[in-house]
Amino acid sequence: MALTVPVRLGTAENTLIEQLNSVGAAAEAERITVAGLPTRRVESYHYTDLKMLLKAIPPLAQAANEASAPALRIAGAYQLMIANGVVQAASTAPAGVIVGKTAGGVLSTRDDVLVHLNGALAKESLTLTLENSVDPVIQIDRRIEGEAAHAADSVKIFVADGASAVILETFSGSDAAHVGNHGTYMALGKNAVVTHVTVDLSSRSAAHFASNEYHLADGAKLRTLVIHAGAGLSRTQVFPRYEGAGAHGDITGLNLVSDGQHADITMDALHAVPGTTSQPLFKSIARGRGKSVVQGKLVVARDAQKTDAKFMHQGLMLSDEAEILSKPELEIYADDVVCGHGSTCGKLDEDSMFYLESRGIPTAEAETMLVRGFLEELVDPIEDEALAEALHGIIDGWLLAGK
Amino acid sequence: MADYDDIPTLKENIDRATVDSVRSLDVDKYKYGFETDIESDMAPKGLSEDTVRFISAKKNEPQWMLDWRLEAYARWLTMTEPNWAKVHYPKIDLQDMYFYAAPKSTPAPTSLDEVDPELLKMYDKLGIPLKEREILAGVERPKVAVDAVMDSVSVVTTFREELSKVGIIFCSISEAIREYPELVQKYLASVVPVSDNYYATLNCAVFTDGSFVYIPKGVRCPMELSTYFRINEKKTGQFERTLIIAEADSYVSYLEGCTAPMRDENQLHAAVVELVALENAEIKYSTVQNWYPGDKDGKGGIYNFVTKRGDCRGDNSKISWTQVETGSAITWKYPSCILRGDGSRGEFYSIAISNGYQQVDSGTKMIHLGKNTSSRIIAKGIAAGFSDNTYRGQVSAHAKAKNARNFTQCDSLLIGDKCGAHTVPYIESRNGTAVFEHEATTSKISDDQMFYCAQRGLDEEEAVALIVNGFVRDVLQHLPMEFMVETQKLISISLEGSVG
Amino acid sequence: MTTPILEIRNLHARIEDREILKGVNLIIPPGEVHAVMGRNGSGKSTLSYVLAGKEDYEITDGEVLLDGENLLDMEPHERAAAGLFLAFQYPIEIPGVATMTFLKAAINSQRKARGEGELSTPDFMRAVKTAGTELNIDTDMLKRPLNVGFSGGEKKRAEVLQMALLQPKMCILDETDSGLDIDALQVVSKGVNALRNGNRSMLVITHYQRLLNHIVPDVVHVFSDGRIVESGDKDLALQLEAKGYADFDGAAA
Repeated sequence: MALTVPVRLGTAENTLIEQLNSVGAAAEAERITVAGLPTRRVESYHYTDLKMLLKAIPPLAQAANEASAPALRIAGAYQLMIANGVVQAASTAPAGVIVGKTAGGVLSTRDDVLVHLNGALAKESLTLTLENSVDPVIQIDRRIEGEAAHAADSVKIFVADGASAVILETFSGSDAAHVGNHGTYMALGKNAVVTHVTVDLSSRSAAHFASNEYHLADGAKLRTLVIHAGAGLSRTQVFPRYEGAGAHGDITGLNLVSDGQHADITMDALHAVPGTTSQPLFKSIARGRGKSVVQGKLVVARDAQKTDAKFMHQGLMLSDEAEILSKPELEIYADDVVCGHGSTCGKLDEDSMFYLESRGIPTAEAETMLVRGFLEELVDPIEDEALAEALHGIIDGWLLAGK
Repeated sequence: MADYDDIPTLKENIDRATVDSVRSLDVDKYKYGFETDIESDMAPKGLSEDTVRFISAKKNEPQWMLDWRLEAYARWLTMTEPNWAKVHYPKIDLQDMYFYAAPKSTPAPTSLDEVDPELLKMYDKLGIPLKEREILAGVERPKVAVDAVMDSVSVVTTFREELSKVGIIFCSISEAIREYPELVQKYLASVVPVSDNYYATLNCAVFTDGSFVYIPKGVRCPMELSTYFRINEKKTGQFERTLIIAEADSYVSYLEGCTAPMRDENQLHAAVVELVALENAEIKYSTVQNWYPGDKDGKGGIYNFVTKRGDCRGDNSKISWTQVETGSAITWKYPSCILRGDGSRGEFYSIAISNGYQQVDSGTKMIHLGKNTSSRIIAKGIAAGFSDNTYRGQVSAHAKAKNARNFTQCDSLLIGDKCGAHTVPYIESRNGTAVFEHEATTSKISDDQMFYCAQRGLDEEEAVALIVNGFVRDVLQHLPMEFMVETQKLISISLEGSVG
Repeated sequence: MTTPILEIRNLHARIEDREILKGVNLIIPPGEVHAVMGRNGSGKSTLSYVLAGKEDYEITDGEVLLDGENLLDMEPHERAAAGLFLAFQYPIEIPGVATMTFLKAAINSQRKARGEGELSTPDFMRAVKTAGTELNIDTDMLKRPLNVGFSGGEKKRAEVLQMALLQPKMCILDETDSGLDIDALQVVSKGVNALRNGNRSMLVITHYQRLLNHIVPDVVHVFSDGRIVESGDKDLALQLEAKGYADFDGAAA
C-alpha cells in the first residue's frame, strides 16, 4: 500500500544530473534522479538538509588561470597545491615523501551522496607516500579559483609502518559561490603516527564539503582536527576505521559559526577489531543566527571486544538566536567494551565570568579569554608550534570579527 | 531466586506478605502465556472502511465519532510506515487480522456479579484485583482502581462510585464518547494529532477501547488508577486509546499493565495515549509492558507500536513517564512531553530489557516550548541474547524556551556478545539560554562483580538479576510501590537463559 | 578623620524572594583587619559576593563606599580596578587558560583602567617570581590552567598570590581556611600577613576562630541572620569559640 512518490527534483539536482551525465557517471546521475539530494529524513543528513540548503550548483570547474593569496602559510612547510581539481606541479619533496597523481577519486564506496559525487567528479588525485618520518609540515593547499565553480578533488595518502607526519589541508579560493567537494583517503601503517588538520577558509558565499576516510593498522595513532571557519555552508565527514589492534584515534573538530552560517561535522567511526581506542572531541561555538551541527557515531563491531571509545561534544552559545544541534550515536555489538558519549550545550559559565571580572578583567576580554580556554583542548595537542600558532590565529580572527 | 534481602532499600517499605507472594510466583519463561477460553464476538477479518463502520456501530457511537474515524481512515490510506527505527520485521498483513474482538457477555455488566466468571478467573490468574470487596479486605494494600481491557473492550472498571464522589471520571473511552462527548471532543487528538504517524492514524480509525480519566480542578486523586490490557484472541490486533485530563491544581497517578497469551504468530498492538496537564497539575504515568515477547527462536510475539504523548499545557504543570519494557517482540515507543506551559516539567524514567530475538527502539521526546521549562531523562537499557536495544530520544529547546534545562543519562548494559545496544539522542538547542547535559555509557557486568556474587553463593543467573536490579535502581524508585516488587521479579524472568 | 577604606551602610540584599542581608553596617579604616564570624547560612559569604558585585543578588537598600567612592554603581571588574579583591572560598577552575596568562591579563586590565601603562614582561615575570617564592608557588604551577586540578592548598595559595600581585586596597578573604591543613594554613596566613600595611584593609570572613590565631584581627564582628549583631576585639572570637553562636542569636532584633 506504500505508494512510491516520485521525488521532485530542484534546480541543483537537475544541474548535478547533467554534470554527472556529462562525465559519463550514469549510475550516479540515476541515483540523484531517483532519490534526489538528501533531506532531513535521511538520518545522516538530519540537520543538514541538502535539498533545502543547496539551491544551485555552479558549472563544473575549468583549469584555474589565476591564484588568490594563500589562506594560511606555515613557515617551513612543504607545499602542495590542487587548484580547481587539478594537481599542480610540486617543488622537490622532502626526504621520504613520494608525490604522484592518479586518475579518478579515492574514497571507498559508501551510501553517501557527497562520497558518490566526489568519486564521479574528481578527475585526478594527488597521491602521497610517506616512507618514513617526515619533519616539515606537509601542507596541501586546495582551492577553487575564478568564477563560481563546482570542483571535486581528492588526495590519497599512505603512511608507512612506523612513519610519522603532520599534514595540514587548507581549503580556500576566490570570493565566489563555489561548491567544493573534497575527498581524502589516508592509510596509516603499523605504529604510524599522524596529525591531520583540515581547515576550511573558503569564502562566505561558498559551500564546502569534505569527506575524510582513515584506515588505521595495528598500533597506529591518529590525531585529526577539522576547523570550519569559512564557507557559508560546510560539512566535513570523518570516517575513521580502526582495523588493527592498539589503533587509537583522537578525532577532533571545531565549528566556528556566525550569523547565517551552517557548519556540520559528521563522524562515523568503526571499531572493527578488538583492542582499539578513540576519543572523539568536538566543539561548537555559535553566534548571531549561526547553526552548528555535530553528529558522531561510534560503531563497535560484533567481535571488537575491549574497545574503549568516548565521544564528547561541547557547545557554546554566544547569542540567544544561535543553534547548536548534536546527535551522538552509539551502536554497540560487543559486550566487553567501555563506550560512552556526552553532549553539553550552554552559554559561558557565569561563575567563571564573575571570577575573571572580579580580578579586574573587563567583560569582553573575559569572554574572549574563556572562549580561548574552551578551545585550548583542541589546539594544545598540536605539537608543531608554527601550526598551533596559525590555528590560534584563525580562532582569534573569528573572535575579533564578532566584536 | 536471588535473595532480595540484600537490597534493604527495596524491602523496607514493602510488607512481608507481598514479598512472599511474589517469591512464590511460578517462574515460567512467560508466566502470562495462558489463554482463556471465552466466547467472543469478532469483526470480519481485514481492514476496510466497513471495518471502521463495524467498530463504530458495535460501540453505539454517535455520528461525529464515526465521521472522525472515517476521516482518519482516509488519511491513513495515504501514509507510509515509518522506517527510521532500528527494528526489522516482515510486512504486517493487516488484511489477515481481526480488528475487533469482544468477550461475548453482553450486555455490558453493571456489577462484578454479572461479569463472566471465566474472565474474572483470568484476571485473577494475572494477579489483577478486580473484586472491590477483596481489595478492601486486604488491610495493608493500597487501593487501586482498575479498568480491565480484554482484546477490544473494557470489561470492568472498579471503584467508580468512590471516585465519582470527588468528581473524578474513570471509565472506558467507549463510555466516555457516549457519556461525556464534550470532554472527548475537546481533548481527543489534541495532543497526538490524527495525522501524527502511520500507527497513530490507524489507531484513530480502528481503536476499540481504552481508559478515560478526568480529574477536576483542585482534586488529588485518592487512589492509584490503573488499566490492565490483555490480548486474548488469535490473530487480533489491539488498538487501545487512553485519554487523561488533569485540570488545574490536580494530581493523578496512573498505572498500566499489559500481557498476552503465547502464540507463534505476531500480533499487532498500536495504542495511542494522550495526557493533558493544565496549570499546576501533575500526571504520573507508569507502565509495565509485558506483552508476549516471542519464543526463544524469535517466533511469535507482539509488535508493540505505541504513540504516547503528554502535553504540559498549563504553567508549572508536570508530566512524568515511568516505563518498564520487558515484553513484545518489537517495541517502538517514545512517551514524550510537550513542555508548553511556562515552568512546566517533564520526566522520563525507563527500563528496557531485551532478550532472545526481541527488538526495542524506545525513548522519549522533550520538546521545550515555554520559558523556564525543565526535563529529566534517565534511561536504562539491558540487552541480552540476540536482541537489539536502542534508546532514541529527542531534547529540543525552541527559540522562545528561555532558560530551558535538560539532564539526560542513558546507560546500556550488554549481557553476552550476540546482542546490540545503541543510543541515538537528538539534542537540539535553538536558544542561547538553554542548558543541556547529556551523558551515555555502555558497559557489561564485570567479571569482578560476578566473582564477588559467586563467592557469596549466588549462581550466575541470580547474580545477573541482582546486578541488573542495582543497575536500574534509579528508575525503579520512581515506580509505585505495587509495581516495584513485580518489576524486580519480571527483570529476573526476562533475563533467564541470558548467561552460561 | 581619614576616609575609611570600606564603609557599608544599612545594606540589604536578596536573592530571588529571600532576603539575606538585612541591614549591614560596617566601617573599616585604613590598615585595619576586621573579622566577620558567623554560622553557616548567616549570610557572610553573601556579603562578600555582594561587595564584589555578583549578579545573582539584588540590592534593595543601603550603600557601600570604597575609599569614598560608590562601589555599588560599579561593574565587578571596575570594583577590582578600584582596589577591591575577593579571595574566593571556592576559586573557580578555568580550563584551557594558563594561570600565567590570566595573571598578566588581570594586572594589565587593572592598570589600564587606572590609566597606568602595561607592565613589561620582564617586570611581570619578576613580580610573579618574587610573590610566588613566598608562597611556595613554582613556575610549573603557573603554567597549568587556572585552578584546574589544583589541591585545596594550591588554590588558596594561588588566591593569595593574585592578591599580592594586584595590590588591592581592600581584601576580602572568604573562608580562606576551609580545606587547608595546618601547614597550608600557615603558608597562606604568612602570605596574607605580609600584605598588611597602614593603607590596606582586610575583611576576614570565617566560621572558625582557628584562622584568627594566624591572621590576628583588630576588630571582630559577629554576623547573624543577615546583620552584624556584636562587635569587639579579638577576644570576642575566643568567646565565640567557647560558647558558640547561640548567645548572639536575635541580639540585634
